[in-house]
Parts: sequence; structure tokens; C-alpha cells
Amino acid sequence: MDNINVLIIEDTPEQSDALIKVLTENNYTVTGVATNFADALKLFYESTVEIIIIDVFLDGKPDGITFAETINIIPNSSKPFVFLTSSQDRQIFERAKLTKPFSFLMKPFNELEILYAIEMAVEKFYAQTNVFMSEEQDTVISNDYLFIKKKNSLKKVALNEILYIEVEERYCNIITEKEKFVIQISLTKISNLLDKNKFVKTHRNTIVNTDKIEEIILADNLIILKGDHKINLSDTYKDFLKKMNILS
Amino acid sequence: MIQKIHNFLLLFVFLPSIALSQQEKGSDYFSIAIQKKAQSYKSEINFKKAQYFFLKEEWDSTLVYSMKQLNSNSDLEIKEYCHYFRGFSLKKKSLYTEALIEFDLINKSFQYYYLVDYNIGHLFHFEKKFKKAILYFLKAETEILNHKDESEIAGLYTNIGICYLHLNQFSKAEFYFKKDALLNPKQITKSVIRSNINIAGLYYEQYKDKQAIYYFKKAYTLSKNIKDFDLKQTAAFNMAVVEENRSNYKKALAYRKEAEDWKDSLNNQNKIWAVADYEKKFAVAQKQKQIKVLEVENKLKNTQRNGFFFAAIGLLLILTGGVYLYGQKVKNTKIIVLQKNKLDELNATKDQLFSIVSHDLRSSVNALKTSNAKLSATLETKNYDELNQLIIQNSTIANGAYSLLDNLLHWAMLQTKQLYFHKESVHLYSVIQQIEYNYKPLILDKAITFENSVSKNIFIFVDLDSLKIILRNLLDNAIKFSDENGTVNFYTQETDPDFCELIIHDNGIGMNENTIKELLQEGEILAKKNNSEIIGTGLGMQLCKQMIKKNSGTIAIESELNKGTKMILTFPKTRTNG
Repeated sequence: MDNINVLIIEDTPEQSDALIKVLTENNYTVTGVATNFADALKLFYESTVEIIIIDVFLDGKPDGITFAETINIIPNSSKPFVFLTSSQDRQIFERAKLTKPFSFLMKPFNELEILYAIEMAVEKFYAQTNVFMSEEQDTVISNDYLFIKKKNSLKKVALNEILYIEVEERYCNIITEKEKFVIQISLTKISNLLDKNKFVKTHRNTIVNTDKIEEIILADNLIILKGDHKINLSDTYKDFLKKMNILS
Repeated sequence: MIQKIHNFLLLFVFLPSIALSQQEKGSDYFSIAIQKKAQSYKSEINFKKAQYFFLKEEWDSTLVYSMKQLNSNSDLEIKEYCHYFRGFSLKKKSLYTEALIEFDLINKSFQYYYLVDYNIGHLFHFEKKFKKAILYFLKAETEILNHKDESEIAGLYTNIGICYLHLNQFSKAEFYFKKDALLNPKQITKSVIRSNINIAGLYYEQYKDKQAIYYFKKAYTLSKNIKDFDLKQTAAFNMAVVEENRSNYKKALAYRKEAEDWKDSLNNQNKIWAVADYEKKFAVAQKQKQIKVLEVENKLKNTQRNGFFFAAIGLLLILTGGVYLYGQKVKNTKIIVLQKNKLDELNATKDQLFSIVSHDLRSSVNALKTSNAKLSATLETKNYDELNQLIIQNSTIANGAYSLLDNLLHWAMLQTKQLYFHKESVHLYSVIQQIEYNYKPLILDKAITFENSVSKNIFIFVDLDSLKIILRNLLDNAIKFSDENGTVNFYTQETDPDFCELIIHDNGIGMNENTIKELLQEGEILAKKNNSEIIGTGLGMQLCKQMIKKNSGTIAIESELNKGTKMILTFPKTRTNG
């Protein structure tokens, strides 16, 4: 599990310092602080960022919204973001609202509020609402990552590091090459959200990352994954083999 | 030869007398009777028309309308009148058999049945069935005599006499011709002269010259009193023939001359008539011209009158318009006055608010000022314990002032409708935690036990910022009105599947019914500031109420003095998709 990278766009140093303090205390990694529109774009494209915190007004101009509009134009490049604003001016909001999905936070804010706002932004961005706050689920799944809530903060796990997933009732065991941990999500949800060509069911409660398969022993109904993990293959779920290009 | 001439003359005399006896009948009591009838049957338009044309002697039209009337199935009396009209009209049109059929259709009970008999008599007369004719005439005689209309009686007797004459029953003819009504009536009319001539002719035919000459002479003398040249000429001519027969040629010549004179004067009269006619035409033309002039004048008058009329209408319209506009103006003024009063009221409220807020702010800042002075004084003495206390005190004051300002800002934005409002799914537990976070120092300071027992699975559908304002204010109040070591508890109750009930419970000083009432009162008038130090502007509560309303929620208060207060809020839940 890795920390989540946050880009801060904020022109007041006191504000950004306070933000950095709160975020680092809660295990987020701040990849950079931009104070104007140009810097923001530069930092956004240079570094890997999962979440952006944007102050609406940069140097008195609503450049924060302009930035959000800019990154929204290019498909797949957009990321979840949170607007910070000290004014509840209707006009600004009407404009900001168009940069969907839209989440904002009124200044002044406390630690809990910014963490909540970040989580909300992720949920809204990946259209999986009411996840982090509920007791049934703690993971949002994007195309590349699992975003998992751990205590007060979010963690990410790259999907291509996952070897396989074992489901036990409302919990899932995630097994990566390096570690093993438990997330809270139902089987139907996780199988719906994962890429079906990559993650396939091999057993009633097992989902395997096909990229990590090293060997399939049909005689023993066994799949051997990277790192020598042995997985049972049930007859009911053998169909996926037809789709694969198998050498030999 | 002479006899032949006499015969010719007699015939010449007879025919008009027959026609005469018929003509006179249409104009007297009978016509009045049918006019009355028509009036009493006003609804029968066809009958009225038939009657009208009958009197006008337009026989074709009479036939048409009487037929229409007969077809429309009216009462018996009208039917009989119609049959009578038809019979009479047909007779006039010389359709004798058809006329007879129509007359036969009339019942004997018909009031004027004797006229029917009389007419049938005529019909037989025309068909030269004189005996039958006489029979019908005699039938009619008694009734006609009853009506005592001389001309009618005269006509009847003339007709009977003529019939007998045709039958060569001279004595009977003489009898009728000699009737007083014919010969010595009260008024000398043409028919009297004709009757005289008739009887004279009768005697002449029988070679009773003496009597004949007597009547001819009588006719001649009577003819002098009337203006009919034709009759005068006939009388004179008859006299001439008589004198000629008596070989009194001188006299005959004189009578002849007189007859010629009358003939000439007849011609002259024709000429005069022609001239008169011409003059009449001229006069008519003149009149026509006058009429035209009058018409033009009339037209002018009309246009003038129309002009006046339109001018009057125009003036009236302008007047109505003016009245209407005036009414509108009065109405508008009324509305404006009402609005002004309301605005004044609102302005007064605002002024009051300003004074309260500025007073509060002033005292806050003043407290801060004095506290700061104290702080610097304490710093000099390096009394760190007191220093810390002072700083905490300062921050409390600053927090209070800040929340007041924040409320003021939101209230202003709400009033000017500038507040951005966006409903979304909100995790109630987290939000309460976030609000509590800011009040942690205060809670610690007062040693209040704070508990958030809200279920973590509740999501409500509200505007996040306004929810925060509501919770902040209510938590602030709960802390403010709690004693040290008190408890503030947030919890939810599930009473409705669509709504979430959030209860903020403190065990502070509570309030009485009146205060609750005042707090929940509708309207924008702020609760009056009491003497008590801890009671604020009421702005926070106003704001809460409006925000809750905007979020489609409700608020209720349960409180007991010195036991605590329960603020019960309801908010709509987020609808779970499946």
C-alpha cells in the first residue's frame, strides 16, 4: 500500500503550509505546491498525482477554476480535485459547478474537513459514492488503483501489482507480490468494477489477475501465479481459458 | 231598328250595374268584420295576409295565402273565411265551377252564409242559369235586408230584376226594379240613375212608353246632379232616342247635341286629365328634385350627427380610460404604501440587528483589547500560568466574535439570495465530528462530555455548508447553555424511512415555553435581547431555522428549565439506489 500523491495549488504560503502539515500527518504525500496557473499545469503533467487541492482564487483571479477546466478537457488526464474557497459567491460556484465532478471546501477548514473533502472528491470522481464513510465498504476502485481507507487517510494499491483476490463474505483478501491485506467490499461489487478481461474468476471466491499467471495445470485444476502462489481452478469457471492465447 | 238600338242600349246599361252591385259589397261592414277577425287571429300570418290582399283585390295573392292558411290547419272559422276568400277570388278570376266548389265547402253555420248564397247566385247568373240564380238571391234576401245596407239591398234587387228580365218575366222584374231602395234612395248615386234607366228600358221593351219616358226623364233629371259624363251622356242619349221615337226631332236633336256635348266634355275631360297628368308628372319631377335636395341635406345632417356621435363616444372612452388609469394609480399607490410599510419594518429590524451586532462586536473587541493589555502586563511579570489562561480567554473571545461574524455573513447572503446552495449526499456522523473538532478546546475548557452517537450508516441529502452552519450554531448554543461538567449528546432516531431525526441533547439551563415559542416564531424579527449576558442576538437561531427550511427539514424544541434542551431536527435521507 502506497501513500497518495497530492498536488496543492494555493497562493497563500500559510494556507499551503497548514495543508502540507495536515496531509503529511495523515500519510498523504504532497508532490508539490503551485502558486499560479502555469506552475500548476507544469507540476500536474510532470509528476504522478492522484488528488489535487485547488484554491479557486489565485492572486485574485479565479484561475483555480480555469485549471480545473483545463485538465477536464483532456480525457483520462483528469484527476479528483477539491476546490478551496473563502467566498460563497454564487457566480463563482455556478462556474465551478460546471467542472464536474465538483467538490469544494469552505475556508477556514479543520483537519477533519479537508480529509473528508478529499475522500468525497475521490468517491464522486469515480462515481462510487457513500463508500468511505459507510461501514460496509472501504475501497473505491479506479482503472489503475484501489483506493483504500485506512483510519483517517486513503491508501492506494496499483491494480497491476495484485496477484489475486480471495473473497470472504464482505471482506476481500488482496494478495500482491509484496504484501497481503484485507479490504471491505462485496464480491459482486469488486467483480463489476474490475476489468473483466484482466481479472477473472477462477473459483467461487477467487479472482485472479491473468497477467500474473505463470502456469495452468489443467489436470490438477491448478493455476500457478508469480511468486509461486497456487490457486484452485474450478470447472465452472474454466471458460476464460478460451479467450486466452495460450502457447504450447 | 229603333228597338234594336234600345236593346243595345239596355245591355250597355245592364253590365255596369251588375259589376257595380258587386263592387260595393267589399267595402262596408263585411270588410270591417274580416279586418277585426284578422286582428283577433294575429298569430295566423297567412290569414292576415290573405285578408289584406282580399281587401286590396289582389286575387292571386289572396288565393295563395288562403291556401297556405288552409294547409296550416287552423280552426273552423278561419277555414270558412279562407274558403270564402278563395271562392270570391275564383269568381273574380271567372273560374266559376271552382268558385262554386269552394263556396260549397262553407258550412251553413258560417256567420255570413247569406253572402255565400248571394255569390252563388252571381255564379249562376254568370252561367245564365237565371232561375237558380234567383233562388239563391232570394235565399240571401232576408239577411241582406236585416243589415239595412241600402247599396247592398239595391244590388240584390237589381240582380234579381235583371234575372227576371232575362227570363222575360217582366212583371216580376218590374216589381224588383220598382223597389224603393232602387228608385228613391236617400242619396242620389250613379246606381240610382242606372236603376232608373233599367226600369225605363224595361218598360220600353214592353212598349209601355209612358212609364218608360217617365223613368228616362227621371234618370235624365237625376243625371244632372252628378258628375259622371258617361252617365249623363247615356241619359241624354236615351232621351234623344225617346224623343226621336216620338218624332219630336227638335227635342231629339237637342238631346243628341247634349249627349254629344257630354261625349266631348268626356273627351275634353280626357284631355284635361292628360294635361293634369302631365302637370302631375312635372310636379312629381319637381318634387323628386326637392326630395333629392332634401336627401342631400339629410345626408349632410347624418354625417354631422355621426360626427357628433363619434366625438361623444371618443370623449366617453377618454373619460373611462382616465378613470381607469386613475384607479390603477390609486391601486399602485396603495401597493407602494404597503411595500413601504413592509420595507420600513424590515429596515427597522435590520437597524436593530446592526445595533445588537455592533454592540456585541464592540464588547468582544473591547474585551480582547483589555485582555491584550493585561496580557502584555502579565508578560512583564512573567507569570506564565496566568499568561496561558489569558491566551485561552482571548481565543474564546475571538472564536465568539468570529462565529458571530460568520453568522452575520451567511444571514446577509441568505437575505440577498446570493448563498450558493447545492444538495448532495452527506455523511452526518463525519460532519458532526468535523464541527465538534473546532469546539474541542471549548468543550475541554468547560469539561463537557461530548458524545456523537449518530449511526455511521446515515447519509442525508442536504447542502453541506448550510448543514455545518446549523450544527455549529446548535452545538455552540448547547455548550453555551450548559454548565460545567455537563453533557452534549448527538443522536439519531429512525421514525420515518425517508427522513432522519437528529437530536442534539444538552443538560444545561433549558428554557421556558415562551422562549421556545419566541425562538420558533415565524418571521424575520429577531428575538429581543434579554438582560441576561449569555443570550445572544438570536441571529444564529434565525439562520438555523431558515437553513433547515431550505434543506426541506424541520426543527422542534423540547426543553425544561434547569434540566436541559432537546433540539429535534429532521432532514431528508439520501435515497439509496437499490
